[in-house]
Amino acid sequence: MSDAALKTSSAGFPSLVTVLRAEPLLWLIAAIIVTGAITSEYYLTGQNIENLLRSVSVFGLLALGMTVVMLTGRIDLSVAATMIFSIVVAVKVMVLLGDGLGLRWLVKGNTYAGPSMPFLAIAIVTGCAVGALNGIGIAYFRIAPFIMTLVSLTALRGFNYVLTDGHPYYLRSPVFAFVGDQVVLGIPFSTLVFLAVLVALILFVNGTVAGSRFYAIGGSERAALYAGVRTERFVVLAYMISGFCAALAGILFTARLKSVDAPLASGYELTAIAIAVIGGTALSGGVGSPWRTLLGSLVFASGLNLLAIWGIGTWYQNLIVGTVLIAAVALSRIGRPRASS
Amino acid sequence: MPAVSRRQLLKSAAGLACAAALPGLASTPASAAPVHDLLNALIKKYSDAAKAAMANTDIKALFEKDGFRDYLDVYPVGDLAGGFVWKPGMGASFTGPYSKLQIKAPFTDYLPMNEGPVLDKAKTYRIGFVFHGFNHPWLISLADTAAWEAARHPNVQLEVIDAEFDDNKMGQVIDTWIAKQFDGIVLWPSREAPMGPPVDRAIAAGIPVVSLDRRTSSEVISSEVLGNFYANGLQQGLYLQHAAAGSGAMICNRKDLGSTADSIRTGSYLEVIGNSPDYKMLANYHTNSQRTLAFKSTADALQAFKDIAIIFNTGGEEAMGALDAVREAGRLNSAPGGKKIIILANDDAREVLKEIRTGNMDMVAPYTPLIGDIGIRAVIMHIGHKAGLLPEAPPKLILTPNLPMITREKMTIEGIETLTPDEWPYAYGPEVAS
Repeated sequence: MSDAALKTSSAGFPSLVTVLRAEPLLWLIAAIIVTGAITSEYYLTGQNIENLLRSVSVFGLLALGMTVVMLTGRIDLSVAATMIFSIVVAVKVMVLLGDGLGLRWLVKGNTYAGPSMPFLAIAIVTGCAVGALNGIGIAYFRIAPFIMTLVSLTALRGFNYVLTDGHPYYLRSPVFAFVGDQVVLGIPFSTLVFLAVLVALILFVNGTVAGSRFYAIGGSERAALYAGVRTERFVVLAYMISGFCAALAGILFTARLKSVDAPLASGYELTAIAIAVIGGTALSGGVGSPWRTLLGSLVFASGLNLLAIWGIGTWYQNLIVGTVLIAAVALSRIGRPRASS
Repeated sequence: MPAVSRRQLLKSAAGLACAAALPGLASTPASAAPVHDLLNALIKKYSDAAKAAMANTDIKALFEKDGFRDYLDVYPVGDLAGGFVWKPGMGASFTGPYSKLQIKAPFTDYLPMNEGPVLDKAKTYRIGFVFHGFNHPWLISLADTAAWEAARHPNVQLEVIDAEFDDNKMGQVIDTWIAKQFDGIVLWPSREAPMGPPVDRAIAAGIPVVSLDRRTSSEVISSEVLGNFYANGLQQGLYLQHAAAGSGAMICNRKDLGSTADSIRTGSYLEVIGNSPDYKMLANYHTNSQRTLAFKSTADALQAFKDIAIIFNTGGEEAMGALDAVREAGRLNSAPGGKKIIILANDDAREVLKEIRTGNMDMVAPYTPLIGDIGIRAVIMHIGHKAGLLPEAPPKLILTPNLPMITREKMTIEGIETLTPDEWPYAYGPEVAS
């Protein structure tokens, strides 16, 4: 299914048969699942499916934000650092607020015990703010996206250490336990959050004029400018969406680990880029969709999960994943009409 | 054995403190007490003194800023499981299954287990071993000993996974083993906080879990095989007091703040030297077990400071990086008065021992990675106890024996008789040309 097809079909979702014919990644996912079911009695157990879906949620959210940025022909290397930074900032701000109110919200040395909802809101706002800074630097100050977000990545990693003094913070409230561990009708809560963001982004990108601007900017920024599109605003918006997704991924990630620690999630930005690319998002911009990023996430997570179930070492996992990814990208290119690429 | 924190330091060692309380600036007679107990007594002595006062303002400021007291007070110090007494020379020799290096593991007689099938001979026991770093000599040696012990028991199937220093990946590996209903899990956690929840989930699923060397934040973990971090830092401090007589400017190359290794080693080192007012802390780096970072930070410090007399290193990789930088700068003998810079190390890698032998490094506190076998035996015992096949589970805290420091020449410092490199057959890592 081409991006054009996806966009024109925004009034109604395409039929399953159409989707299966047009999406080689779906066949790959099916092949992985069937192989898993045949070779391991544990692959399709509820416990393992939960593990797989949780993995999809965090990496999928990072990749969704990356997809939106890549649609504009840019990149965001700071997503993983933002994901931890937003949580660290939330802890620090809430503890300071607590101090101001005469309340002790950091107990046992480094366990956060304050209210959860303001905490989550601060984390989300921080993620969006980091995205806005990246976007402003890139759109208005003409800093190359690679440089701007690499600087952000490095600076945020440094800030994470400075703000925490290298100490972990424990997050042990019932809300974090719910977000990290709760399963609703067999689906982890974190997956439901991911799916909600996915649907929202599909509707936004494919069903609104603002969403179509991302494709226009990525396809030809000059043409978009000549057409009267204020490209800077949409570039900033794309980075803010990426920051939002990163912060949300940070919430799901740290809620599962019940803690936040400065060095966590190192290198996850590359995984996010890989997933987006597997899903067919072009590094040059203008091509891609959140739906395909979902497929990319599923290929990535289900493949890794299968290798883990087989007990294959991580060195070999990396090798096999790399090979499969190249094959997946090639297959998706072969099956797609030329116009979309 | 009941849980024993440093606060509840064993009473049996308290008496030894008196013997160890002799002035520490000169060689003292060796104590007849086991080195484990003697070191525990010294830990108590210096910890009490540091709690009472810390006269050195530089040291005190760092000690308080990094919150070492919080970590030190909960790090267990106590008796060995089952009344085990370790003596130099004990242990089995074999070729490491992964490193292919010749290994002599010191603690194979600790919580001993006969070769052959274990527990129910008709059943195969699946045990997962997850750690970080097949690219790190210390960690490969840890995996070597775990795999060696598992291979001694034909009905034990060991799955070994490297989580590549990604805590989340380690959690996912454990979750996969829960889904696969493994019989037991042994892990080497890099950091404490993030590994608690996965361990809790495994325990809730009825799977015994044993951690090696470092701790997790889980309060329900089956057993922790804990090393002698406290004795490491303590002995670095004791050696420095002996060699520098209470004065000198120093830099520190440390591991990640928040890691057990850094918190306890550096903390106990500072406890020992904290009451000597003439030490000066020039710079303090976190080089995170990376030789290249330690090289860079030391090279920077050598540029910035002309009076460096002491380089404290939390690990062997840091010490090697620091020594390389000192050598490259031609500054080995650039301490005030033309004296040699004192280089203090941890981790008894073969290449570190070579530098001790040649006199480039001054001391190393051994911290052996050859403890994976204890973890495997402990988890098998837990599995057996859970299945009703063994009357007793191993203790929650399985402390590894404190080991004496290694110096070029044999000496006795506060009753601790040091060993020379030639007296230490337990070194790990690749052979180095002498």
